[in-house]
Amino acid sequence: MLFALSDADAAGNIREASDLAYDMLKEYTSAEKCDNLTVIGFLKGESDYTLMLDAHIDQIAMTVTNIDDNGFLTVAKAGGIDIRALPSRRVTVHGREKVTAVFCATPPHLARKGVKYTDISEIKLDTALGERAKDIISVGDLVTFSAKPQMLKGSRVTGRSFDDRAAVACLIETAKRLSGKKLPFNVAFVLSDGEELGLRGTRTAAFKINPDEAVAVDVSFGDGIGIADTDCKKLGKGGMIGISPALDRGISNKLISIAKEKNIPYQTEVMGASTGTDADMIAVTREGVRACTLSIPLRNMHTEVEILDIKDLEAVCELLCEYILAGGVKDD
Amino acid sequence: MTELISALCNIDGTSGDEIAVRDFIISEIDGFCEWKTDALGNIIAFKKGKKPSAKKLMIDAHMDEVGLIITDVTAEGFLKFKTVGGIDISAIMFRRVLINGETAGVICGKPIHLIDKKEAEKPPAADSLYIDIGAGSKSEAEDYVNPGDRAVICGEFTVSNGNMISKALDDRIGCAILIKLIKVDSEYDFYASFSVQEEIGLRGAKTAAYAIDPECALILEGTTAADIAGTDEGLTVCNLGKGPAVSFMDNSTAYDRKFYNAALKSGILCQPKRAVAGGNNAGAVHLTRGGVRTLAISVPCRYIHSSASIANINDCENAYELARYMLNGICGGEIE
Repeated sequence: MLFALSDADAAGNIREASDLAYDMLKEYTSAEKCDNLTVIGFLKGESDYTLMLDAHIDQIAMTVTNIDDNGFLTVAKAGGIDIRALPSRRVTVHGREKVTAVFCATPPHLARKGVKYTDISEIKLDTALGERAKDIISVGDLVTFSAKPQMLKGSRVTGRSFDDRAAVACLIETAKRLSGKKLPFNVAFVLSDGEELGLRGTRTAAFKINPDEAVAVDVSFGDGIGIADTDCKKLGKGGMIGISPALDRGISNKLISIAKEKNIPYQTEVMGASTGTDADMIAVTREGVRACTLSIPLRNMHTEVEILDIKDLEAVCELLCEYILAGGVKDD
Repeated sequence: MTELISALCNIDGTSGDEIAVRDFIISEIDGFCEWKTDALGNIIAFKKGKKPSAKKLMIDAHMDEVGLIITDVTAEGFLKFKTVGGIDISAIMFRRVLINGETAGVICGKPIHLIDKKEAEKPPAADSLYIDIGAGSKSEAEDYVNPGDRAVICGEFTVSNGNMISKALDDRIGCAILIKLIKVDSEYDFYASFSVQEEIGLRGAKTAAYAIDPECALILEGTTAADIAGTDEGLTVCNLGKGPAVSFMDNSTAYDRKFYNAALKSGILCQPKRAVAGGNNAGAVHLTRGGVRTLAISVPCRYIHSSASIANINDCENAYELARYMLNGICGGEIE
């Protein structure tokens, strides 16, 4: 499921991953396609109280801003991308047809003084189409990474758009496990749009659902060489339960106590202020919503070679199911 | 020829570890020539032609490609590495690699969110990068990989709009042209070397040329094409689609002027290499023993030494035609 979701794209007007997630979610919930890319699934429970689970469906991308006569494109970022890693990278341009293109690398005889990376507009994208490029590609077309997901050793996998398709996969799996069960309250599964552009899609979805509490499932920094222990958590040690002044501490505590009680691996992620996830936005919807984050440790975030541990996805699904069946913070 | 180049590019063979490429080439040329391998791993071949040659000619293409060598395994199970041959940091950051042709890995670094603005303007130090194969510990990693093992940056061969996009185009294109020259009937006798270790200092060609002891040599290569957006006209070196580049001089060789002029007057689409930059096996070959008259025929490659080099299919065909023209001209005595 994760591989299929990773290998489909969703950004701007490209709906592949949205459509795929909708087809999966409607097997287990009453699902609907909403504005832009957003998909919402709903499971009815035994009270009017509603818990919203959120994972964003959109991914980082780039967009074409200019096409020259020789088939070289200028692009703008739509989401945080390390431009130092772009030269000689293959990407997909979603034009009238999909085109494989390569970011220009400074040739060695011109790179002697060293290359400075300041703006993505300085790194042109080579379509190798020459003047034909203008027939196939238009300004505004989206550009996405193209690496296919792949198994690594142990329980690790690599691929693109695991941010946040890994969480989308967790939500669909959670819906599957809860489907047909007696639930203490309603559960809305929101696969939201526009997170990478500033938490946009979840705002309207949260307004529409008007939930009593919410858990945003996202990715956060996994460990690696040169990354301070305080900035990351270990892959394979469970989901990261968010604790932050902007989050509801009651939910954090309940998630922790359920994880302990049920022996589900977990880690905590303490943040100083806002979390940078959809939880920030959901919390300030309408009259306010109790919100928390549950994050999957991820290496190489915002690249096409993100790495995660499947064990962490399992831990997140288990924790979400047990938390919901235990009634969340409904009675707290 | 595209199919042959594709097959060659998809084989991994970093400098000093060209065995898989060598085996493939031998399977192609066996029966079409006499061949042997030498102590370093070069293939040295003799192609019998219909007539003896006026001059003893050697045609060279190198089998190796740039890549990585694993140097250490950390306690966490990450792999440290060094580059083999000249590779830009941006060409290895956040890339997929294949180790020993079988173990998949990823070159990891700090995510963009954890880097300050100043740091983000410069490429990171090569030694801050490391490979993750999914192992959770040193001992788990060592079940699959050990120091000294080789890796390539993955870059599958694809064709788009008459161009090839792939890793290792430098110099599997040259290998493909040379294989093709050997497999067709030749008017004249000639020698061929498929050489090792070009990318780490033209080492294989040195011993191959010594062994063959030629009077003249043709080097089949890939060279930098800087005909990309933002490059001044005067710095483009050569252009895709305008035929192979022939050099008058580069960082390692002043080429034979008569050969250079003959190539440009051949009537086959080709272009002068408009820069004194780069270098290739000619640097080793032309200084062999008492000296060898040498010409390089280079197919223009954008983003050379990366996993997504781009070269034009027609340029490869024209490079083959030009190599054949020079072979017949030199061996037949028409090119003085």
